Amino acid sequence: MHIPDGILPTAVCLGGYATAGVATWYSLRKINQSENPREGIPRASLLTAAFLVASWVHIPVPPASVHLLLNGLLGAVLGFYAFPAILIGLFFQAVMFQHGGLTTLGVNASIIGVSAILAHFVFQTRKLFGPDNRTATGVFGFLAGASGIALAAVAVFALLVTTIPANIDVGAERTAIGILTIAHVPLMLLEGVFTALVVLFLIRVKPELLEDN
Amino acid sequence: MELQLDRYAYLETPLHRWDPRCKLVGMMVLIFAFSYVRDLRLLPVILAVSGAMYVYSGLPLSFLLSRLRLPALFLLAVAVILPFASGQTVLLQLGPLAVKEEGCLDLLRIAVKFFSILTMGIILFGTMPFLTAVKAMRGLGLPYILADMTLFAYRYLFEIGDDLKAMQTAMRLRGFRNKNLSGLSTLASLAGTILVRSFEQSDRVFKAMILRGYGQPASFKDEFQTRAIDVVGLLLLISAAAAVVTAELLLH
Repeated sequence: MHIPDGILPTAVCLGGYATAGVATWYSLRKINQSENPREGIPRASLLTAAFLVASWVHIPVPPASVHLLLNGLLGAVLGFYAFPAILIGLFFQAVMFQHGGLTTLGVNASIIGVSAILAHFVFQTRKLFGPDNRTATGVFGFLAGASGIALAAVAVFALLVTTIPANIDVGAERTAIGILTIAHVPLMLLEGVFTALVVLFLIRVKPELLEDN
Repeated sequence: MELQLDRYAYLETPLHRWDPRCKLVGMMVLIFAFSYVRDLRLLPVILAVSGAMYVYSGLPLSFLLSRLRLPALFLLAVAVILPFASGQTVLLQLGPLAVKEEGCLDLLRIAVKFFSILTMGIILFGTMPFLTAVKAMRGLGLPYILADMTLFAYRYLFEIGDDLKAMQTAMRLRGFRNKNLSGLSTLASLAGTILVRSFEQSDRVFKAMILRGYGQPASFKDEFQTRAIDVVGLLLLISAAAAVVTAELLLH
């Protein structure tokens, strides 16, 4: 899900930085509208680190195992802090683990971060069914987790197949997008179920975590 | 947990002594110039520039190789797909599969750019402590929320990583085996526990920081001094980047 350096044209990379810049500005503007913006920083920072660490947990899918992206969960828990959190998480991954890239940081952050913000709005819809409704929390947790990864997967594959390389014909491009997207459906369901389980755990153990965003 | 990013950040080379702000701007400009390259004739040039800079940085080769393990998997995946999927000119027929010239050239282009940019990134962040890099970004105008979040997250990343390891060990000692999806609920509780612990710790951290004056105007003091040689280095890299882009425009 993290596009590395050297693949995308420079114009797309710069466009990614521009999009990430606008999304960051919007998120920071929302954060600055709170009474004490600095108060939320340690919480968002520790949760950023926690999300990065939680994404290292291996989920066994025999015969292999996968790492989850958790952008839907991040959007659900962090709200408008989700975009800066994802930007920072991706920066860490690019610099520390060479996962993703410096030129593609903007593109990756835009894809994963905007999906997280949309997942945040999906998760907020649960409030229409009452703040303590566990069923709604589980269902909208699932939808936030699944939609977060689904949107990101479609965006990544569409971007990859349409920008590299120029020698693949249009029919093959469409087939590739279709196959890759369908291949991610099980992962989407897994991410949705995992997100639902985590938000149900949080609402039982620490409901403030879901209320404060 | 140790990521060893700062392992060689305190060497005494001109690249290590370079003003971090100039280094960040100059090297990022050069990295973007590398990503602009399409012409195959320029690939040896960017490879040579990144190689020469790596030698000049004084970082050991083993450091570069150790950081290439994960990205090598990506290159392997590209190498398996591209030569067969891209292009029309058949170079070699392997049963039902045909190796195509355009695909091989695309692979070469991606691999060289990828390696050159990665090397530059390793030089950039391997020749200064990570905290200095964040302070330099702050000095270049990074909003305080992003700078503070980056520093906090970096500070606690290792600690939370160690917590995860300890919890996973405790789970194994209690008989948990991570073999199939039946343990998903337990893994979700593990992830949830990491979030809850971090959330609770953040309250204590915030209160402790307020007591130490967090949020006062002097939180970030400009501690960098730009010398003439730093500016010369910056201009040199920008000129190199301009030369690469101009050559690409003329050749392609």
